[in-house]
Amino acid sequence: MFKFLFKYPLSTFANGHIVLLGTWPTWVLWTAIPAAAAGLALLIGSRLRQPGVGLRRPRAGAIWLLQSLLAAVLLLLLWQPAVTTTELKPQQDIILFLLDDSRSMAAREDGSTRQAQAVKALQDGALTAVEKKFQTRLYRFDSRLTRISDLKELRATAPATHIGDSLKQLVDETSDLPVGAIVLLSDGADNSGTVDLDTISALRTRHIPVHTVGFGRERSSHDIEIDEAVLGPRALADSRLAAVIRFHQRGYAGRKSRLTVRDGANVLASREVAFASDGNIQSETLLFNVGAAGAKALQFSVDMLPGEENPANNAVTRMVNVESDKRRVLYVEGEPRWDYKYIRRAEDDDRIVQLVSMLRTTENKIYRQGIQDPKELAEGFPTRPENLFPYQALVLGSVEATYFTAAQRELIREFVDRRGGGLLLLGGRFSLADGGWGVSSLADLLPVVLPDAKNTFHVDPATVELAPAGLDNYITRLVDDPAANVERWKKLPYLMDFQEPGVPKPGAAVLATMDAAGRKMPLLITENYGRGRTAVLATSGTWRWQMNLPVGDPAYGLFWQQLLRWLVTGSPGHVAASVPNQVLLDDGRVALSVEVRGEDYQPVTDAVVEAHIIGPSGISANVEMSPVPDLPGSFQAEWTAEKSGSYVTEVTAQHGDKPIGRDVLTFQRMDGIAENFHLEQNRDLLGRLAAQTGGRYWRPQDLSDLADEISFSEAGVTTRETRELWNMPVVFIAILLLRSAEWLVRRKSGIV
Amino acid sequence: MKLPRTTLLLGLSTGLLALQIGGFQRFQPPLRGSYASPGDAKHEFAWSRLRYTSLGGSFGGFGFGRGGAWSRDYPKADIVFLEALRRLTRIDARSYQQVVDLDNDDIFNFPFVYAVQVQTWTFTEAQAKRLREYLLKGGFLMVDDFHGTADWESFLRGMRMVLPADHYPISDLSDNDEIFHVLYDIGQRFQVPGEQYVMTGRTYEKDGYVPKWRAIRDDKGRIMVTICHNMHLGDAWEWADDAQYPEPFASMAFRVGIDYVMYSMTH
Repeated sequence: MFKFLFKYPLSTFANGHIVLLGTWPTWVLWTAIPAAAAGLALLIGSRLRQPGVGLRRPRAGAIWLLQSLLAAVLLLLLWQPAVTTTELKPQQDIILFLLDDSRSMAAREDGSTRQAQAVKALQDGALTAVEKKFQTRLYRFDSRLTRISDLKELRATAPATHIGDSLKQLVDETSDLPVGAIVLLSDGADNSGTVDLDTISALRTRHIPVHTVGFGRERSSHDIEIDEAVLGPRALADSRLAAVIRFHQRGYAGRKSRLTVRDGANVLASREVAFASDGNIQSETLLFNVGAAGAKALQFSVDMLPGEENPANNAVTRMVNVESDKRRVLYVEGEPRWDYKYIRRAEDDDRIVQLVSMLRTTENKIYRQGIQDPKELAEGFPTRPENLFPYQALVLGSVEATYFTAAQRELIREFVDRRGGGLLLLGGRFSLADGGWGVSSLADLLPVVLPDAKNTFHVDPATVELAPAGLDNYITRLVDDPAANVERWKKLPYLMDFQEPGVPKPGAAVLATMDAAGRKMPLLITENYGRGRTAVLATSGTWRWQMNLPVGDPAYGLFWQQLLRWLVTGSPGHVAASVPNQVLLDDGRVALSVEVRGEDYQPVTDAVVEAHIIGPSGISANVEMSPVPDLPGSFQAEWTAEKSGSYVTEVTAQHGDKPIGRDVLTFQRMDGIAENFHLEQNRDLLGRLAAQTGGRYWRPQDLSDLADEISFSEAGVTTRETRELWNMPVVFIAILLLRSAEWLVRRKSGIV
Repeated sequence: MKLPRTTLLLGLSTGLLALQIGGFQRFQPPLRGSYASPGDAKHEFAWSRLRYTSLGGSFGGFGFGRGGAWSRDYPKADIVFLEALRRLTRIDARSYQQVVDLDNDDIFNFPFVYAVQVQTWTFTEAQAKRLREYLLKGGFLMVDDFHGTADWESFLRGMRMVLPADHYPISDLSDNDEIFHVLYDIGQRFQVPGEQYVMTGRTYEKDGYVPKWRAIRDDKGRIMVTICHNMHLGDAWEWADDAQYPEPFASMAFRVGIDYVMYSMTH
């Protein structure tokens, strides 16, 4: 119908520009139209003033309007309107058809696979129509691009889809060919989730439009899918970890299932979850004990529910390096206190964290515990980085800020900021505001603004309660069930004392609060500072939990072990290696990054850094790492894990002949997993790709118009076409309608 | 007048018993009239004395109330010791003692407890259980002032209700034990007699000729109970300001007591 009225298809107008071919200047047209309208208005007005003309003003206005429009149309036709388009030259340009050959295209919907639907859509005439006008080439792609001569070569078995990489490869391979357009037939289930900017930029540089044809349902009717499981890449042996699992579902809103984490066949933790509304991402935290040291591949899963369309996307795997290296915490206590004793006893049960303490028993005597040799701390609190920085965390008890020299206080700052250590300040007679910490040079390190007052420490009872930020925090998790944990905290015995902690700083997290005679205050506040982390526990009276709970109750020990483990876990060694993803899905490329710091934790720029990688089937490789420009102490290397399996990487760094340190990390390549996820058609990605390159997103049933529309492209060999519009049927119909309408008005007024 | 034999025997026994209980102590007035000052209540450390039910119930000076065996040297020994503790260490200690018993859970608020004349202590099952729990949770018990073989056996009867012998053996402390080095390095230890030494010149009582420094440990080797057998540290504290009581005994008693308290707050 459109083509009948307008002579040309809609795509001609959508892809073209309207121009006026007349030789007279355009401004004359824009002047002539109002002039004609004004002239007609004068003429009709003068006629109205003549006696005996029985025309009412509204009808006279209607006649004026219809005549003016007619005049405008006629004037426009005098200037010869036309549409110009840039079009591919028939039989000279090449149209590239890319067909997704990954396993997700084998998903069966409405009686046939997605790939069969794609083949049928092409064979139903779309491909033939394009072939009549242009040369064509067929390609299949998954993680790589391969040219095919026949659609029968498609298998839909490949384990991964990399749309961006395939397009990039295509652009590179056809750089000397007149490519007019790309037609991409896919479900959009790209394993990287996006098409990178480089690829888009390469396409735009050559003006190649990508027409995307989407297959697969845009919404599953019944499915649960895990989107992400977030947990740290490293953990200490026998630590409780908090993993945040994000998932969404369709068709099961309000239903319940079980969230489970497994280490091999061992269930580490499991709990029931109720599903929220369809399609919304839901986050749940799962706490579990990660167990003994070693590289762990933890599987997080949601139990399948009846009728689920794709059970293979209910589980994801994450790698965790569980380390058993001893972590040392230096605890400086200014006076004998019961919590000092009970904290030490709690840490006696921790195989990883060693508590080294120096206690001022008298004015002039320091009692040391947990030292490795008699010389350790013999001179008191360290004054040099090489003596303080071997500890991973520092706990300051009831000790005044002025107990430390200015240089020692600066060393404490660098311990947190540069070395990345943890710092915990406890409440006490000589702590926090009463110890002068609020006016010390270290005040900005603390997660609270301490009160500007004295006598903030009170030997009076205070009850405790979890704060919202503590609900999902593993430091404060005493029992696994979140609701039971809240109740557990409420039932803890009261604290023997408390200290006014002041106001938490923006960015600080209040994990627990206390209530002293109706006055509610933060109890445990944490914050990140520089490369490290700081915390304030505004009491020295938690020991009552140990003495007033039943024998064997783990609450006190668990709390302190978890708090100190949090304090030490993030403290890096001299060599810290990392990879962006520890689980490589169908793609073995891995980017290794290493940070190298010296004894004083200053970046070492001229280190020799090497990674020794051991993988499955005897794979062994030495990779030399290069310094990263503008990032002192950072080194990087790229490597490809060719085979599926676990890889252990030992990174060593040395300066001259002197070893700086080593680090070990693991990663795993898993094949055939990625295609189980994101099975719904990624309409968003396909639409965006088409829009960014000047193409169009197509539904399979609309492909009959593809051959016409694909012609409009600025890529390849093009020609500029000009089509006159004066003879469009719609113009004559418009003129006829305007004249007819005027005749009707005149007749109604009795002047015809 | 001829007294019946039973009356004579009863009177004689009572007299001998009274001599034993009182020992050879001279009367000591309380050090302070109002030592339980409420304004001095809020401190980290409170010296706690265990009040227990003595063998024979409340008969003749034994028993649960004030003046029972549990209160030997009370309160001056406690107060003098606390003065030394406050003077010589950084422990934030209350200046007066606390009395605790095993009939309620208040004892769990006082992780250090001192008991004397423990050859007379008796426990109900509930009391023994509470003391066992106290020790297993990290409480610390120091026993003092009992002498000789009979006292030891009597002490054990109560102690074994609390901590069974098969799981919690009693061992002798050596010079190298950390408890003698927490603050003061106490090498050569000697018998610390009670105040009776001033009149008799004997450092021992009954057949307790050799001082026994003993302990019961938990399963990690930490001392839960220190046993000062055949010595009387409490008297040494109490009479430390008596010119006739030899200074070396008092000094030893203070150093041992302070080391024990310091150990209880660090291990």
